[in-house]
Amino acid sequence: MARYAMVIKTERCVGCQSCTIACKSEWNVPNGFARTRVPETGTRGTFPNLNTCFHVKQCNHCDRPTCVPACPSGATYQGEDGTVHIDRALCIGCGACVAACPYGARYIDPAAGKADKCDFCAPRREQGLAPACVLTCPGEAKVFGNLEDPASDVYRLVYREGARRMVSNAVAIGPNVYYTGTPEHLEVQAASFAPVPPRTIAPGYIWGAFAKKLVLIAVSASFAGQAIAFFRQLAVGEKRFED
Amino acid sequence: MNQQPIPSHPVPLTAEAATALEQLTIKKHDVAIVLLHWFNASVWLMELLSGLALIVAPAYRVMPQWYLIMIASAFGSRANLLRVHVALGLTWIVVFTVYGVFGYRNYLRKEVLVNEIGLDHDDWQWLRIRLLLILNRTKEALPEQGSYNAGQKLFALLVYTALPVIAITGIIMTFHLIGTAVVAWAMLLHFVAVGIVVSGLMVHAYMGAVFPEERPAFFSMITGRVNELFAYKHHFKWWKQAKIEQRHWQQEFHSTTPSEPKSD
Repeated sequence: MARYAMVIKTERCVGCQSCTIACKSEWNVPNGFARTRVPETGTRGTFPNLNTCFHVKQCNHCDRPTCVPACPSGATYQGEDGTVHIDRALCIGCGACVAACPYGARYIDPAAGKADKCDFCAPRREQGLAPACVLTCPGEAKVFGNLEDPASDVYRLVYREGARRMVSNAVAIGPNVYYTGTPEHLEVQAASFAPVPPRTIAPGYIWGAFAKKLVLIAVSASFAGQAIAFFRQLAVGEKRFED
Repeated sequence: MNQQPIPSHPVPLTAEAATALEQLTIKKHDVAIVLLHWFNASVWLMELLSGLALIVAPAYRVMPQWYLIMIASAFGSRANLLRVHVALGLTWIVVFTVYGVFGYRNYLRKEVLVNEIGLDHDDWQWLRIRLLLILNRTKEALPEQGSYNAGQKLFALLVYTALPVIAITGIIMTFHLIGTAVVAWAMLLHFVAVGIVVSGLMVHAYMGAVFPEERPAFFSMITGRVNELFAYKHHFKWWKQAKIEQRHWQQEFHSTTPSEPKSD
């Protein structure tokens, strides 16, 4: 079984947004949203030790995704190859996954009212094609492949050349997008785009903390009440004539 | 024609009188309402069973994993299960809307609603005494009741409040209306409203189908009629009103010149 990963070679990325456009046109991503984009870190450090670079943001297809248990309806799931998908037929658009993603990789498609994100171009992969962003990148900064295949480029980059995951002390959920580059570049990326701790939407919190208990207690109490009444009815028996 | 006076308050019945009353039946529910009741009951059962299998995330779900798998598998996939849940729910909303539009004057008029969900002084007394009776703390007699007792009225009140909430939140989730935050709150409200109704529904089902004293009420939801002894003992105010109407109808039936209808 494959385990898909992507490596971004920061040193090759010039921030041209070709990947952003390729992805948007391939999947008809609505205006104002993107499944992948390339923001700039902005100037970091103190003069004269200043640095800046581009950072490719997209779904990291984490090993332990926080969006999956956050999804109430089970629309978000992890495939057998480790990639994370959205079953659009099940998504009600509550936004719980958007809040739960530490990488800001998800959005609600305003036309469909459902969550959407990168799926490593699953329909293209089924046809044996590389993801659209990988194919289109003029600097060949994006490398896609199977981490379980020792002959693959991603295997070499991750296990032999030390490509890094974007994790922090607070959030380490095994992202499968890796970054290479100079230590300075990786440092400014981490400073600007470190994963944020997953959030729980307020209704979801209330559901788990109060509503579920309240409903279970109310239903159990009601059931217990009628069970007692029924046992009494069993013990007393029923009258043939009402008095 | 045998025209005994209708008592204004319940009097102790002789065995003959009780037996005679038990043989008579009196109409309580229209056929339309009997049909709606069982339509509603079957939709509730199916929506409940399917809905519980649609709450999947560990933090949210109330049913064990095997239940979720069992129900989803029965429909082929969870996506199919959701389609069934939504289709049934929308059908339910359409049927209630049709009833509301066509039956407005019959079933949603103010007087009818007051009769079904308005609690008067007698109702509050009934609630107090009923609770004390259950606890064996009083020997007071229960006050006379209209067509529904206070327990039934409170349940109706709860249901009348929850049904629009369930319907509207269901529509919001189905069509992803207004916005993400609204959908998320709709999800919570949908669950809580159903949960509260279900806790009342269990008492409703027990009282209706199992509790011996209320047995005639259960059959009235099939035949539309109750025996008069039951009506006399449990819903005296309603029985009295029905008898007055019946007398009037009888007079009308036997007279050649119709008289102007009077109430009371």
